[in-house]
Amino acid sequence: MKSLFLYFSFSLLLVVGGCDLYPQDDYKEYYVVESYLVADMELPALYLSTTAPVSSEYNFDDTAISAAIVEVRLLQAGIGSPVEQTFTYQLDSPGVFVSTVAHNVLPTRTYQLHITIPSTGEEIIGHTVVPDSFTAANTVPNSVEYQSENQIEVVIPASNSDARQNYFIFTTLALEPAVDNFTPVYADFYDPEDGDDLSDFSTLSSGIVSEGNFEKNNNGTVTLKYPWLAVAFYGETKIVTNIIDENIYDFLRSQSVQLGGSSISPGEIPNVIYNIDGGIGVFGSIAADTIQINITRPAGF
Amino acid sequence: MIRTLILCFAGLLLFTETTLAQSASINGYIKDSSSGETLISANIALLDINKGTSSNTSGYFSITNIAPGEYILVCTYIGYNTFQKTVTLKPNENLRLDVELIPASQELEEIIVTSEAEKEKAKEIGVAQIGTALIKELPSVFQADVFRSIQLLPGVKAASDFSSGLYIRGGSPDQTLILLDETTVYNPSHFFGFFSTFNPDAIKDVRLYKGGYPAEFGGRLGSVLSIYNKDGNRNETHGSLTLGMLSSRASLEGPYKYGSWSLAVRRSTLEPLLAALRKTSDNIPSSFYFYDMNGKINFDAGKDDKFGLSFYTGKDAVSFPFADDAEFNLNYGNQTVSGNWKHIFNEQLFSSFVVTGSRYFNFPTFELGGTPFERDNNIYDFSVKGDLEYLLNDKHTIETGVWGGVMTLILKDRFDNEDSFISRIQANYASLYIQDTWRPTDRWKLTYGTRLNYFSDGDYLRPEPRVSLEYKPAERVRLQAAYGRYNQFLTLISNEAFSGFDVWLTADEGIKPAFGDQFVLGAKTIPFKDYGLDVELYYRTMNDLFELDPFIQDVSGLPYSEIFRIGSGDAYGAEVFFEKRAGDFTGFIGYTYSYTWRRFPFYNNEIENPNGSGRSYPPKYDRRNDINLVMSYQLSKRWKATTSFNYATGQAYTEPLGRYSLNNPVWDNQVYDTIVSGKINASRLPAYHRVDVSFSRYGTFFGLGEAEWQFQIVNLLSRRNVWFYTYDFDENPIKKEAVYLLPLLPTISYTVKF
Repeated sequence: MKSLFLYFSFSLLLVVGGCDLYPQDDYKEYYVVESYLVADMELPALYLSTTAPVSSEYNFDDTAISAAIVEVRLLQAGIGSPVEQTFTYQLDSPGVFVSTVAHNVLPTRTYQLHITIPSTGEEIIGHTVVPDSFTAANTVPNSVEYQSENQIEVVIPASNSDARQNYFIFTTLALEPAVDNFTPVYADFYDPEDGDDLSDFSTLSSGIVSEGNFEKNNNGTVTLKYPWLAVAFYGETKIVTNIIDENIYDFLRSQSVQLGGSSISPGEIPNVIYNIDGGIGVFGSIAADTIQINITRPAGF
Repeated sequence: MIRTLILCFAGLLLFTETTLAQSASINGYIKDSSSGETLISANIALLDINKGTSSNTSGYFSITNIAPGEYILVCTYIGYNTFQKTVTLKPNENLRLDVELIPASQELEEIIVTSEAEKEKAKEIGVAQIGTALIKELPSVFQADVFRSIQLLPGVKAASDFSSGLYIRGGSPDQTLILLDETTVYNPSHFFGFFSTFNPDAIKDVRLYKGGYPAEFGGRLGSVLSIYNKDGNRNETHGSLTLGMLSSRASLEGPYKYGSWSLAVRRSTLEPLLAALRKTSDNIPSSFYFYDMNGKINFDAGKDDKFGLSFYTGKDAVSFPFADDAEFNLNYGNQTVSGNWKHIFNEQLFSSFVVTGSRYFNFPTFELGGTPFERDNNIYDFSVKGDLEYLLNDKHTIETGVWGGVMTLILKDRFDNEDSFISRIQANYASLYIQDTWRPTDRWKLTYGTRLNYFSDGDYLRPEPRVSLEYKPAERVRLQAAYGRYNQFLTLISNEAFSGFDVWLTADEGIKPAFGDQFVLGAKTIPFKDYGLDVELYYRTMNDLFELDPFIQDVSGLPYSEIFRIGSGDAYGAEVFFEKRAGDFTGFIGYTYSYTWRRFPFYNNEIENPNGSGRSYPPKYDRRNDINLVMSYQLSKRWKATTSFNYATGQAYTEPLGRYSLNNPVWDNQVYDTIVSGKINASRLPAYHRVDVSFSRYGTFFGLGEAEWQFQIVNLLSRRNVWFYTYDFDENPIKKEAVYLLPLLPTISYTVKF
């Protein structure tokens, strides 16, 4: 009877107090890769490092991995198909590898990243399908008045995939960043006393914008309207329309909710969506087109 | 379905005629003698033969199959003097007797509440009631609030001090059906979730079915909160005026030739505070207000027919120019209207028919640097409902009903003056239920039935069996068990920190409705006079939970079925509720021990296994231990003190384990600082505790009416409870910073009743 009592007491203690049904994981180190192929541009550098414990100081050089065999492979016909061409990479600086062969990235083709860590035999493998390259099909005016009804428009081919629409990131590169050239809203946001620098505003990106937001034309093109929100400075401006691949899309959409901003409760931090075996990070690709336009200050601003 | 109901109805009427043989019966309404308000769940019995019942949600009772003779009729209700009367019943007599109970505290001098009601009180499994008097007495942040009072009950949790959302037995707020006068309310919040919309001045009864709820209700996986507005005083005109720090409210009620009416209005009074703040601080809204209005009018067409029309309207509006050429505006609110007809066909058959209309809207607009974002979000829900309660004999009570309606959900997003997302869902829904309450002996009660639900989007037809059993082994002990299947055709897209953007979406083709089973075991006891001790154990499952995929930032261009993630969950726990119901000193202590889990494919996987089926994890509001203590003491004739204390295990959160940065994106010059997590929500915030106190002083307002000063302090010990942690990547190593919940907050209000 006494032992039965002890058994029940112990069980109760486990249930009520001591038994953790969901213990926290321990920190584990992962290899981190970073490389973005751009359609019709030369193969980019690849950055290889590891994660660091959250409580320790972090900088890339301390976590850089230099002892690695890095290859980017062009596949014949999508993931799983034979290799058509292999591009070997060499170490350029700690953790930074560059291609030894000049090669312009081919639109719509699949590339494989293959990294081997000689000391352990570990492999890191990723794939990216490069978005098709494009150019604006419309004539963009030389200049446009800020917040006028003549919004900047770019006409490009719509996605030719039924399964996946295009996802864009718009990047604005101000060529004349100056305090006097700020548009009103950014002038208000700019606070040098808080450490803000003009360079913080000279390159702005939009975040992910779905193709579904824009008007589809009968000729298979889509008209992208460039939001005034993305303009921080008056003056000459380069506007880059980027179409991102699935890997960059997954990274950005999941990284951005880690510290809030979606329907997830504050404090719930999911891991980012990765498409790499043996490591984390992004091996992705984009296709981009750039226009240049002078954004003029409207009267009274 | 309507034809089925008519057939049932005709059958019941026919059967009624054949069973009215020899015996007598008593039926009528149970009311408050001072106001004429009907009383819900009041107990009434014939002492000599130990035969009784309790009033239904209309305040109606009926005792049938009584042998002719003389009996002592007793009627009891918490807070009222016991009603006792000798009645003589002749053969075949149907005695109509409307009972009027006298409030025990009607006169200020009689502060000792004596009631025997607890002896008779039949508490159904999973049901909790909270009195409007207690809601007003409880210490609260700025103003009395129904939901924050409910959050003190075992099994009910709050997501944070800033949220009035109800997390009941592991369910998210959308798993609770909220009814105001039988009309669905879709976003019952003011101040972006800080308060609930229900004005305690306007409310008569608050009834929470925490789980295992009966076939009468449906449409939600977890629970039902049914709130009834006051009918209005049928004897004389009364009113009250309350001035508070955040809002002020006024109510008026009274009789007219054919019945009664009531009107309650509440509005925020923040304008002076905002004006003062704008002089010294930036980023203060240029305008912010909320208001609500409840009204009801009753028409007593005869002793067997009562009609009622009630409405609610409420809105929050904020305008916030947060920078040059940048402004945020939001209007959101609810409107409801319901018309009901309660008809007594005879002493065996009571009916209630309701027509309801409910609208929820929110219209956020956001304009930044010449780029507007606008949303039009509307829900219109119109329904017709009919319920019949038939006392077949003294062993069987049959209830049946039908509820059907049309729901229209319109969601339009415009970005930069272009439509970016348009969804217009018009769905028909219908349900039919029938249940029998069978009392084979005085000790046993079995309620069994089924509910059939139809939802037109996706053409879903779902049966829901429900059963509950009660056994009374001793006079003061009830053992109870219940099982039920529940379906939910709606899901809420919300954020626990801000409810002003709430959007409801529905099941559809390819998106199956969520369903779950609930199992509840309970014991209701009266250990001593004036005390109650309840224990309940529950286990519930949640399947096909569909909710907006949190990783989709822009739903434009995606098929409807691809914007959701589909998961499952379960929850289990034990609740203990010990209360002292009567006397100078009243209160309760509630304890909950619980687990809640969720699971979604590809979510919370190990990094090495990204395509796994997802590990189960506790949502943030999961709390292992939760204790609430509420005490109220009548210090003297004029002073009353109320205090509440809450202790809870810290909420779940995700502790980052590692980090890295992507420094070289080609589309940006931004550094993407990234966290590497382990299991989601595997860590716990520090334990939560808070003490609130309230003192009320009763007096008169220059002899014109009763008056009450209320002094309250929320978080008396100034405990810095943590809401969540943020991580500052500008520091190296990352700096972890706590975001705290409410600090110490004193409030004061003054009420005059006339």
